[in-house]
Amino acid sequence: MAGMSGKVSVVGVGHTAYGRLPGVSAWALQAEAVRNAVADAGLSIADVDGLFTESQFSEPLLMHGTILGRQLGMRPRFLSTQSQGGATCISLIQTAALAIDAGMCSVAAVVYGDNAKTGQPNIYGLAQMGRGQADFVAHGLLGGPAMEALAAQRYRWEYGVTDEQFGSVAVTFRRHASLTPHAQYREPMSMDDYLASRWIAEPLRLYDCAITTDGGACVLLASTERARDTAQPGVQIIGMGQAHNLDGLRDKHHYTQFAGARSSREAYAMAGIGPRDVDVAEFYDCFTSTVLVTLEDYGFVGRGEAGAFAAEGGLSLSGALPSNTSGGLLSEANVTGWGQVIEAVRQLRGSCGARQVRGASTAVCSGHGGFQATHATLVLAGADAA
Amino acid sequence: MSQWEIPKPQPVMSEETAPFWEGTAKGELRVQRCAACGSLQLPASAVCSSCLSSDIAWIQVSGHGAVFSFTVVHHAFHPAFASEVPYVVADIELDEGPVLTASIVDVDHAEVKIGMEVEARFRRLDEEYVLCVFIPRGSKLPEGAPGDSGTESKQTGGK
Ligand SMILES: [Zn+2]
Repeated sequence: MAGMSGKVSVVGVGHTAYGRLPGVSAWALQAEAVRNAVADAGLSIADVDGLFTESQFSEPLLMHGTILGRQLGMRPRFLSTQSQGGATCISLIQTAALAIDAGMCSVAAVVYGDNAKTGQPNIYGLAQMGRGQADFVAHGLLGGPAMEALAAQRYRWEYGVTDEQFGSVAVTFRRHASLTPHAQYREPMSMDDYLASRWIAEPLRLYDCAITTDGGACVLLASTERARDTAQPGVQIIGMGQAHNLDGLRDKHHYTQFAGARSSREAYAMAGIGPRDVDVAEFYDCFTSTVLVTLEDYGFVGRGEAGAFAAEGGLSLSGALPSNTSGGLLSEANVTGWGQVIEAVRQLRGSCGARQVRGASTAVCSGHGGFQATHATLVLAGADAA
Repeated sequence: MSQWEIPKPQPVMSEETAPFWEGTAKGELRVQRCAACGSLQLPASAVCSSCLSSDIAWIQVSGHGAVFSFTVVHHAFHPAFASEVPYVVADIELDEGPVLTASIVDVDHAEVKIGMEVEARFRRLDEEYVLCVFIPRGSKLPEGAPGDSGTESKQTGGK
């Protein structure tokens, strides 16, 4: 172990109900998530002196953290709002851990919430990338699935991935969601259901794509020393890494090898572990294809082997690498990367009931976004392992 | 266009992209060329992304390329595309190197494959913009055939 490893812990997690929550604002969801995480830790909002936020995606705002902090009545010592797509949650957690270790705050709330399901639709979202930065919208390339489909098609072509291999990811994670009381979609999904789901943007079907959720989620961090005085079993951050492929298709590998390869290497090195030491993985499963590429990037399988690994049950609770054990973005909830970190913490606390991975002591979480551009990795360890 | 139609999302002209759109309006596909290191690039950037030089010019390219990847879009993510789904959008690796994301039109969707050779055509989006789209190379599409989507022209004078 090296650097920051083990110095900071997750002391609280909290979220709202997930699903269709008409009439509840994004702010109300964010505030409820903070309240629940603070209660989970046995702390009060007065203890929280670091605020780390991502703006609700359906209403991207300048200075989001200042608006949320005002409503929470906070005067934090450290404030940060970030925007890196699906890597934002883990990047915020890493920034918060650095701030805590530097003594610039002691308890950090990392929060997100959006009413993307019933609130204001955000069909013009790509225009917010800036003037002239997303002109492909005029060709009808709009929305995450269509953007991702270009990468998924190339990955599929290079490695001969089948529809059923993509589908096995969706079906497996739905089975995990069915064991998760708070998950948004719990009814069983068969391979036939998957194959019958409508095309969104080939090769992606409806069930290849993340769901849309009204919900908020919060992760609370403190120094590992401080964590000993809180209510829950400590879960330490033992590895952190991030990497970003911002140069697009100037490198033609960027549709089939994401920045997760570099990001995971950094995180493993800090943690002093390798992929074989991981008991549970919580991948940023914005799309089934993203999970397959990340499995390869993280060294769990070789290049081109992820489809077969998933289809043979490798991701299931009894498989070689139990993954997205609460259903992920595909079935549990889409609160960008927060759901992944919260589930990893619960697995390491041993509080997951029917979906608990027995003896889980080391978990890895991925955050991935910006259309194959951004990536961040977190390695967590339970009290016994740390 | 009837006044009841929902307009398609437009490109947004910026300091960096204006020469690209001035080119498409003349039936020319242009890429940025760095005078300092010779790199060619798309999409447009404020500087050369290889050497950070600001000494960038726009040059016309052949309009020939191959499909690097593609998708057949079935879901209308914007109401203006509801009457057009399914349609094909692709990353086109131009013969000169840079990659351009654009529609492939006038093609049987089942025929579109990675590696398929394509060539540029120009179609009017609206009063302001002409898009560079692609068709399979060598297809027998009449030049300048006006369609519902507006006038079309073949790349002119490409080197
Ligand atoms: Zn240059």
